[in-house]
Amino acid sequence: MVPAIARPQLDLELRGIRKRYGNFTAVDGVSLKVKKGQFVCLLGPSGCGKTTSLRCIAGLEEPDDGDILIGGKEVTRDPPWERDIAMMFQDFALFPHMTVAKNVAFGLEMLKKPKAVIVERVQQVLKSFEIDALANRKPGSLSGGQRQRVALARAMITEPRILLLDEPIGALDYSLRETVMLELKMLQQRTGISFIWVTHDQNEAFSLGDLVVVMNHAKIEQQGPPEEILQRPATAFVASFVQGNNVFRGKVLRAADSLLEVETPAGSFLVPGAGLALGSDVSFSVRAENLTDITGDHHLNRLTARCTAVEYFGSVRRHIFERSDGELLKYDQFGAHAARIAAGQVATLGWRPEDTVLHTGIAG
Amino acid sequence: MRIGWKQRSRVTSWVLGTLTVIFLAYQWLPIFTLGLLSFAGPTGGTTFPMNGTSFHWYEEVWKATVMNDFKPPLLRSSLLALACSLTTIVLATMAAQAMRGQFRGSGWFFYLMLLGIMAPGILVGFGFAIMMRILGVGLSWDTTTFMVQVSWTLPFGFLTMLAVFNRFDKKVEEAALTLGASRITTFRRITLPLVLPGVIGAGLFGFSLSYDEYPRSMFTTGPDATLPLAIMAQLDRQLTPEIYAVGTTTTLFSLIAVTLCTFGLWAMRRSTAVRRT
Repeated sequence: MVPAIARPQLDLELRGIRKRYGNFTAVDGVSLKVKKGQFVCLLGPSGCGKTTSLRCIAGLEEPDDGDILIGGKEVTRDPPWERDIAMMFQDFALFPHMTVAKNVAFGLEMLKKPKAVIVERVQQVLKSFEIDALANRKPGSLSGGQRQRVALARAMITEPRILLLDEPIGALDYSLRETVMLELKMLQQRTGISFIWVTHDQNEAFSLGDLVVVMNHAKIEQQGPPEEILQRPATAFVASFVQGNNVFRGKVLRAADSLLEVETPAGSFLVPGAGLALGSDVSFSVRAENLTDITGDHHLNRLTARCTAVEYFGSVRRHIFERSDGELLKYDQFGAHAARIAAGQVATLGWRPEDTVLHTGIAG
Repeated sequence: MRIGWKQRSRVTSWVLGTLTVIFLAYQWLPIFTLGLLSFAGPTGGTTFPMNGTSFHWYEEVWKATVMNDFKPPLLRSSLLALACSLTTIVLATMAAQAMRGQFRGSGWFFYLMLLGIMAPGILVGFGFAIMMRILGVGLSWDTTTFMVQVSWTLPFGFLTMLAVFNRFDKKVEEAALTLGASRITTFRRITLPLVLPGVIGAGLFGFSLSYDEYPRSMFTTGPDATLPLAIMAQLDRQLTPEIYAVGTTTTLFSLIAVTLCTFGLWAMRRSTAVRRT
């Protein structure tokens, strides 16, 4: 982690949060530090505990164990209405019996602000979210994009310390998402409010988050800046969850010069690493774009396989090979030049040991 | 000709349509009969064939020879129904709200609540009267009858409110909580307005069930009778079309009341309706 600069102020701190429902452990010892104004994405498959963690922060769930601090103040057992947070729900949860203006005003009314102040501030916020024309409409008559704006305006009007977002753009049309993502990122940077964004979509997490927290089976697998998660996955789960990684599992066969030779069902490969006993189980990964079909002397890791499909994404051509252990191998070729390998062809792919990442995380 | 699986054949439509009409006639014809006989002539009886037609019996009601006997029971029954309705609203909403939280023993609570529907009314009334006698509590329409009737109206209101909360989106309450509203404020500003149609439904249930309740009132009312008891007593004494005129008049009033309530609900729903774009 980055060394701390003289007690940086934390907007949020989770210390070993645990939440159990009967025999099911939803959150198992989650610890997290969110600096002031940070954009944090909780990323993971459904049921990994990301939403429960978010609900614990909001106060909608009470953790069985652990502490929650918001702005340095312990709030673990405080009710939601006493916490300096706001939350945006996936389906927006607008109040169907109130107009847009009433929805947006709700948070200020709860703070018992004078009526004139509320009216003025609501006007201002409606205008800044470009929904002033909808002020007297009921949520039922709004489109998905309009509802999203109303929900955001309603959450932001009290200027909370932290905004919690539970799959906030999951209910939107695909074509809208990119625009909304950019707007939200700009809004977050302008206001300096910490965002905690729960998603199962890695594109959202990597393009938005300052800090990406990957969760699986109620635990945090890895947390760090997007680049770190992408380039140096800590566990086999993170590597396989993040697109574009080829994951191998095997046993250490030999160790020398900070290089390990790992025997896998798909062959033996060289992986940078040290301090591991011979025969211990390890996993490692190599990114699809680090493979090449024009192998040179430094591409010490080689694998021959049959190409089963080629997918073309515009800037990248992805080749899918079938590994001898039955798993798929992905090889990305950048640039718009013509394909060198066609489906059905057998090719030898190589990569450098230094492009290989040994998974060092404990979980998974 | 082959028809699509979503279309009904002509024969099916006719059969189902006829059955429906017969069913509705079976349900409503007795009331029409009652209405018709109330227009019998001055010498008419309470059975067919009718002996002339007139407004004679309505005049009698208007002149209030019989109505005078019915006025106090009518007032009692109305007050009783109103009290049962309000009690049902409050208790049913609270009980259903409690059931949402799935407390310890909530399964037992559910079945105990429904016992009021399952138990035969006449036995409940009789048993309750005996119990009151043992306890030395005097029987009266506004104490003992009220309690017995609430045990009858409450389960219906409870089921209504359970159904309403079953379709209720918990997220809007959570949104209010995260926006700084306490639980009481959330209930007042968000939950209650959204379930209000159901609450009114539970109240109407309570009113109409109490208003014409006979078996549970029979043993528990004491000297001052409720309307169903008074009407029954009148039927025992003398049977003239006057009683039909009373019935027709009250039915008309009920219809008007229900229509007004329905219209009110419709207007309320329209203002909160989810309109699709």
